Amino acid sequence: MAYIRFEKINKFFGSNHVLKDIDLDVEKGQLVTLLGPSGCGKSTLLRCLAGLEQVTDGHIYLDGQEITDVVPRRRGIGMVFQQYSLFPNMSVRDNVAYGLKLKKLPKAEISQKVEQMLEIVGLSEKISQYPAQLSGGQQQRVALARAMVTAPKVLLLDEPLSAIDALLRKNLQIEIRRIQQQLGITTIFVTHDQDEAMVMSDMIHLFHDGRIEQSGTPEEIYTRPATKFAATFIGNYNLPSAADFNRVFHADIPGQDVAVRPEIITLSREAPKAEEGLLVAEGRIPSHISHGNLIRFAVEFDGGLTMNADVVYENKLDFGEGDRVFASLKKDLVIGL
Amino acid sequence: MRKGSRVSSNIIMTLVIVWLLIPLLATIIYSLFEDWTGIIPHGFTLANYQKIFTDTAFLTSMYQTLIVCVIPIVITILVVLLGLFVVTVYFPRLEKYMQILCMIPYTIQGVILSVSILILYAKGSTILSGRMTMLIGAYCIIILPHIYNGIRNGMRAVNMNMLLEAAEMLGESKLKAFFKVIVPNILTGITVSSLLAVGLLFGDYVIIRNLSSSNVNNMQKFLYQAMKRSSAEASAVFVVIMLITFAITAIVLTLQSRSTLEKIRNEGK
Ligand SMILES: Nc1ncnc2c1ncn2[C@@H]1O[C@H](COP(=O)(O)OP(=O)(O)OP(=O)(O)O)[C@@H](O)[C@H]1O
Ligand SMILES: [Mg+2]
Repeated sequence: MAYIRFEKINKFFGSNHVLKDIDLDVEKGQLVTLLGPSGCGKSTLLRCLAGLEQVTDGHIYLDGQEITDVVPRRRGIGMVFQQYSLFPNMSVRDNVAYGLKLKKLPKAEISQKVEQMLEIVGLSEKISQYPAQLSGGQQQRVALARAMVTAPKVLLLDEPLSAIDALLRKNLQIEIRRIQQQLGITTIFVTHDQDEAMVMSDMIHLFHDGRIEQSGTPEEIYTRPATKFAATFIGNYNLPSAADFNRVFHADIPGQDVAVRPEIITLSREAPKAEEGLLVAEGRIPSHISHGNLIRFAVEFDGGLTMNADVVYENKLDFGEGDRVFASLKKDLVIGL
Repeated sequence: MRKGSRVSSNIIMTLVIVWLLIPLLATIIYSLFEDWTGIIPHGFTLANYQKIFTDTAFLTSMYQTLIVCVIPIVITILVVLLGLFVVTVYFPRLEKYMQILCMIPYTIQGVILSVSILILYAKGSTILSGRMTMLIGAYCIIILPHIYNGIRNGMRAVNMNMLLEAAEMLGESKLKAFFKVIVPNILTGITVSSLLAVGLLFGDYVIIRNLSSSNVNNMQKFLYQAMKRSSAEASAVFVVIMLITFAITAIVLTLQSRSTLEKIRNEGK
């Protein structure tokens, strides 16, 4: 059995059905991400695992034991919350030591572990400061240290970085991933940011309206979205109807809709050499958007079908507005939904 | 023009202060001199103070004042803390009813309260009809709104549910976590509101006169009796009460300004 197992989890808040038949396994030592839009039930599932919320129906297992009705403090789970949750009346040292003191460890050992953990999160010099004297990012790192220092069986991170600016956030993503791998802590990470999920996860579980829409490695989720929702949420997929796409590209992709990543479309002024499995259509460029490292050209085909194509930006714009171009793409990269 | 109005407002302020302070000063002088029949008092003496501080009745009244102030305050603080804990954590929907309940005593006057308590309980022979029980109960009711407000405002400043959950995840029980991570953060608020409550109870005469038996005396009651004996002695008692009240007020103001400073410092960061 997997290290953590959710079995047919249902959760109601009054008449609001928030979690719908969730089945989910997490392997030991992995970092898995619950990814999904706001309000889809990610935090609720996490809180059910923590014991802060009771499931309406279903079973939760951790390390071979059923923990569905165990009180939070006996589950051996550490958690970092979305908002800052350090104890304001305690110094950084006392915050981090809190869980260790409850375990009645010897003073010297507590002190050593606290210092070691603060070293890992890079806040050794803040040890005697108070939460109000720290920046948001520092506070979250202390919260991380506080949760990890007790060596919990599982670490739950509920959007711990959402209140932190972009640059620090990127650094912390890498930091958290590094610490998690170094200590081998099984971790569940909640986010609504797909890039964050891609960077950090062994596995991503894509949530939609209280259900798991798709599970897979970051690469699988990114390159093979299974549903239209997955394709909308992940990457920057073009999602034309299958009928339109097949007409324009003379193809026969099955399904209702077609998902095409903008980076698999190649633009050229000359018609590319015909090739087995290469789809080509001619169009016109009405506009483009610069993303810094790449330029996203809109391409308008006959009959009003418009798709985006990404071109890596070297030192000049390859095409201007109004230019006619050929768009080509490999047929086996096109996903029918 | 502006300068002129500043000057005149200063004059008015001074007059008001003098007007308020004259009786006080007079009382202090009166308690410190043997004779004040002419314009200048003469015969400086501490005899009045010596007398009251060696009078066991006065010392007992001070002691009893302390008791009947401290017990209700401790009880009320504990009740309100636990009540707010349970309501915030388990029954958030009941919060507004708790607030209404705690505010009602604002509208009840001492006479009405003490008389109703007498009518309701005095005839029985349960523990509730003990004089001391009735008095302490009445005092708990009187100070309830003040204590409630102080604690409530303190709690509003921290995200209580979040901190409790964080502590719970670290292996603490909710109730212990409440006393270890919530209460320390609202300690200033609790102190200020209990000092205000002391001030309130300290000045009570009506309720204690109605409810307590003759062997329970607070300082107000002692003052009343002293007035009948000697006005110089009564002045001394009055001055002592005044000084205690000033001291309480000073502590409250210091604590309040310190917690405001802390807040500013924290927000400035
Ligand atoms: N304590 C609660 N009482 C009632 N409804 C709740 C409660 N907590 C969550 N909900 C509801 O459950 C649904 C899912 O909430 P949840 O917090 O799990 O979303 P989320 O996926 O974490 O969203 P976000 O990304 O915004 O944090 C929402 O519709 C929310 O209104
Ligand atoms: Mg959430």
